[in-house]
Amino acid sequence: MKTVITSTDKSFLNISELKRYGGLFKYLSLRDVFVRYKQTWVGFGWSIIRPLINIAIFGTLSFLMDRKVNFVDNFLMVSMGVVFWQLLSTAISDVSNSLVSNANILTKVYFPKIILPASSLLVCFIDFLIAFVLFFILFVIFKGLPTWHFIFLPLVILYGLVFSFSIGLIFSTASVKFRDVKFILPFVLQILFYASPVFLSSEFVLNLHMPDALKVIYQINPFVFIINAFKFCFYGCFQNFSITYMVISFGITLLTLFASIRYFLNFEKSFADFI
Amino acid sequence: MIMSEIAIKVENVSKKYKLLHKQQEASDSFVGNLTRSIKTSFKGHGHETTEEFWALKDISFEIKRGDRVGIIGRNGAGKSTLLKVLSRIVKPSFGRIEYTGKMASLLEVGTGFHGDLSGRENIYLNGSILGMSKREIDSKFDEIVAFSEIEQFLDTPVKKYSSGMYVRLAFAVAAHLDPDILIVDEVLAVGDAAFQKKCLGMMENVSQKEGKTILFVSHNMGQIASLCNKGILLSKGLVENQGDAKDIINLYFNAGGANKNNALTYDDNDKKEYVIKGIALLNSKRELTNNFAHNESIVVELEIQQNKYLNDVLMGVQFYDVYDKRIFTSQIIVSDKFENAKTRKFYLQVPPNTLIPNNFHFSLGIHIPNIQLIDEKQHVCAFTVYDNGSEFYKYNNSDIGLVFVNCKWNY
Repeated sequence: MKTVITSTDKSFLNISELKRYGGLFKYLSLRDVFVRYKQTWVGFGWSIIRPLINIAIFGTLSFLMDRKVNFVDNFLMVSMGVVFWQLLSTAISDVSNSLVSNANILTKVYFPKIILPASSLLVCFIDFLIAFVLFFILFVIFKGLPTWHFIFLPLVILYGLVFSFSIGLIFSTASVKFRDVKFILPFVLQILFYASPVFLSSEFVLNLHMPDALKVIYQINPFVFIINAFKFCFYGCFQNFSITYMVISFGITLLTLFASIRYFLNFEKSFADFI
Repeated sequence: MIMSEIAIKVENVSKKYKLLHKQQEASDSFVGNLTRSIKTSFKGHGHETTEEFWALKDISFEIKRGDRVGIIGRNGAGKSTLLKVLSRIVKPSFGRIEYTGKMASLLEVGTGFHGDLSGRENIYLNGSILGMSKREIDSKFDEIVAFSEIEQFLDTPVKKYSSGMYVRLAFAVAAHLDPDILIVDEVLAVGDAAFQKKCLGMMENVSQKEGKTILFVSHNMGQIASLCNKGILLSKGLVENQGDAKDIINLYFNAGGANKNNALTYDDNDKKEYVIKGIALLNSKRELTNNFAHNESIVVELEIQQNKYLNDVLMGVQFYDVYDKRIFTSQIIVSDKFENAKTRKFYLQVPPNTLIPNNFHFSLGIHIPNIQLIDEKQHVCAFTVYDNGSEFYKYNNSDIGLVFVNCKWNY
């Protein structure tokens, strides 16, 4: 096996190389899963307690704001949004931090760097599964089994993860050189939280008195489509569904994915120089 | 295997870094500093200039399969950058590198170790970071554990390990790597002596038996001399020399000694009966130097002038270590050695294999014991004894005394 290194090397997604580093991907993910709740008293309970607290806060808030819906329905709706949003937002922030927090490895050994954000994505997903099981049990107790649209769920989750991953990848690449990302990120997540139907349904938001331009911007946000699609998988009805915005959402996601991977690969070879 | 005679081929490799300079206007008050930093943060990068720094300049060399190459150079010579470029952690700015086979680099002990994970978990994590597959780790797991000598603590989080245990575990994983080319950066500088020896022995074995190529950076010339057969001397980003490890080590020491004193002359007034006129340090080839291999003799040349004959005059030379601890004294009666000459040269020869690798200096005096001190020079000519592959590398940091005495053993 001959390896050639030149100054003009370009990064690309080398699938056969990635396969060889499968073990590393696995152990980095396992590390993060095991370490996440190490030395906490509650342990993995936190992946249930955190969404529960959020559900309690935002369920109450949305109940106070929108009295038309009955209490149980409202809470189920909000918990659906919160559980899924927790996945999307931790995916964005963990992927964003993945390079800087692994700087010690990055500057000492060679490996395809995409493994770092990818493994942190997996860890978020495992965390989500725990909370999701709990939510699913609650849903079945109160509403019975979801409609047949439930089969779309894996696709919707995958779609959400792809978009979150792309955003995170852009931030993580930028953070190698600019630690400003650390400060910007919480605001981005906060804005996205309010601009998505996490605890206020999109129906409620679109019925508010606000300029049409804002409503357009709101609907362009791919997370609106993604979270509504998640709810659709349970209830079988899609709030404010529109083909136009679905296509736009797909388009934005694809574009972000493509751009983020390009950006990442362009800088991959110089990460160790700047981090 | 004819195709793989050359393991690594490096052609014209350069590595450039940009250094950022912030131009500081002098200000010694806190308020001054504060206002300036506010001003500059609004002006952006106006006060910054960048400078190019070449860590490696046009480096070329070839390494044959099975060679154990020591990379030597002062701090900042580019050793670590070279290893990083070779192990693909950073990209060269120019040039081309070609190597055959699987490469593993050990730039740090226990890369990626996580304190909260147990020893067992860290073996798998660290092993996979260093490029081992799960199957490889599985098959070597027992060996690794045995090598590390920490069986008992395998399921304890490594943050509770003593630093020695931590290093042993990390090394045990590294020692079981099975690459064709192994790159090692100074990591052996930690850990206790016995364990170091074990690691070096393992590396040496592997390289000799299985024809593996090793690149090794260390400041411990004893380690380099004992492990490596080839050496590359780097200086300010350039390859200054390459060849047999022992020659390169000698070159390295001699290059560094240029600004130490190895020859002194004195023009003292002549009222004293005996005057020290000159002192010089010579190696076995009668060349001026401050650096001596442990196994070569050290010659001190002393030029003495006799102005008036006195009876029973002794000249003594005292050797000191870096802490000014007197190690030994050697003396000679000088008064009867002049015959008719006014000046005379005396040569004191410290036999080879006497002073242990370290820094020393000496003082000398001419005197009549208990009666009169005629002339003296204190703490002159510092010199270094270096290890060129003696037994001593095994004892790296432990105290083995200051002299090695070749006593007679009977059995």
